[in-house]
Amino acid sequence: MSYKTTTSPAPLDQAFDIIRRAGPAKAREGIRVLVARDVDIAEGARLIVEPRPGLSVGVFRIDGSLRAIKNVCPHNGAPLCRGTLHASHEPGETREFHPGLVGRVLRCPWHGWEFDVVTGKALYDAKSRVATYPVEVDDGSVYVVL
Amino acid sequence: MEIIDCDVHPLESPEHPLQPFVPNDIREAVKQGMASMPGAGYANPFGVIRRDATCVDPVAAGRDYLDPYNVRFAVLQPQGIYAGLTHNIDVANGMARAWNDWQTATFLDADPRFLGSISVNMNDPKAAAREIRRVGSHKQLVQVLVTGESTHLYGHRAYDEVYEACCEMGLVFALHPGAEGARTPSTPVGMPSSYFEWHTTLPLTFQAHCVSLIAEGTFERFPSLNVLLVEGGIGWLPSLLWRMDKNFKALRSTVPWLRRLPSEYALEHIRLTTQPIEEPPDSEKLLQLFGMLHAETILCYSSDYPHWDFDDPRKALPSRMPSDLAQRIFYDNAADLYGLPPANREGRISEEAK
Ligand code: FES
Repeated sequence: MSYKTTTSPAPLDQAFDIIRRAGPAKAREGIRVLVARDVDIAEGARLIVEPRPGLSVGVFRIDGSLRAIKNVCPHNGAPLCRGTLHASHEPGETREFHPGLVGRVLRCPWHGWEFDVVTGKALYDAKSRVATYPVEVDDGSVYVVL
Repeated sequence: MEIIDCDVHPLESPEHPLQPFVPNDIREAVKQGMASMPGAGYANPFGVIRRDATCVDPVAAGRDYLDPYNVRFAVLQPQGIYAGLTHNIDVANGMARAWNDWQTATFLDADPRFLGSISVNMNDPKAAAREIRRVGSHKQLVQVLVTGESTHLYGHRAYDEVYEACCEMGLVFALHPGAEGARTPSTPVGMPSSYFEWHTTLPLTFQAHCVSLIAEGTFERFPSLNVLLVEGGIGWLPSLLWRMDKNFKALRSTVPWLRRLPSEYALEHIRLTTQPIEEPPDSEKLLQLFGMLHAETILCYSSDYPHWDFDDPRKALPSRMPSDLAQRIFYDNAADLYGLPPANREGRISEEAK
């Protein structure tokens, strides 16, 4: 039984570490595009906008912060941002459930794959993610930075 | 007083045989055992043992099979496997012990090429774990062997103690078909009506156990546990791995203790034996299948000697198989699994097998 010696952290643990540590979206140089008024997006709500022709983005307000994520599912290209927001279970010991990521897990409307809205990371595979964009609020206006 | 007795059994006898009354069209079927009933399980109407071989004597088996085929190690699968299906739990525990001691005294002591399987009664996991620890340090005992038919799916926590003992003693946990359909229908939707149907659908049980072991987190709890699926077919594996990984993307939250794709647990912890190998009309298809199921890691050669569906090592696998793949399947994968010495490289098994 020689082929089982690895103790390196498993891929999903790495993904959840990144998800848990995610802070506010980092500022980034780029083109600021006005997409909405701050008052248009209530807590837990979302707006699907098109900051550039052909680019569809969902802007979500989660825990008070605005988050922008590309409206395309990496699986079959569904409009991801029309999916539902919910909680999920974080990895833990066998036979234990650890609810977490409340309200920030986006479930694709087509086949139900799960993504963290804040980081764009897939919850099933550390290597897969959806593009996210910084959001800035200035004088009551919401900008997505491309 | 005259009486009426409501229960008297008449018996058939040579003087009064039933046979003349059996309708003509089913006489041959009855002769072939097709009047069997659930309690008796499914029997091959033409016998399960090859008509030209048997395996009752270690010297003869060594001479007739191991020597001519250059088999360096042969893992025995004795009938003590049925201990887990025996009605009486204490008798079952005793029978498991009997088969283990019998195997050592007859085959293992006679020829170091024979490696043994530990029979246990899975209906008494505590006793099973005790039996594993009692005999498990014998160098030629390499695995614990159970039937596909079982009280629970094998990922069930009832079996934790057994897996703990396997890990402690460094033993593989192996499943072999056994009496599927003797207690519950052998398929989830009812009882097949022929041995043909029964035997063909055996992989159903294996697939269910395989998913259960992964989904319940058995390999998270027992990271050194390895499982060998013996004689349960191989063609279903790629589809099962793909299905699990696809479902995991939407349903991970229902099995949140899994820390990697389900297929990765399978590739690390589960091995399959080859016999009875699927035989597509075009053997190229079998090679494609080998690619899909990671045969270079997963597949371990097995013959099922001396059963009716024996796979000859020189004939059963595609002759165009690359020799390094043959080396893995015929020797290295099992050597890795059981911790056996590396193959003798001169006169490679693969070359001789062709
Ligand atoms: S398109 Fe999103 S899960 Fe299939």
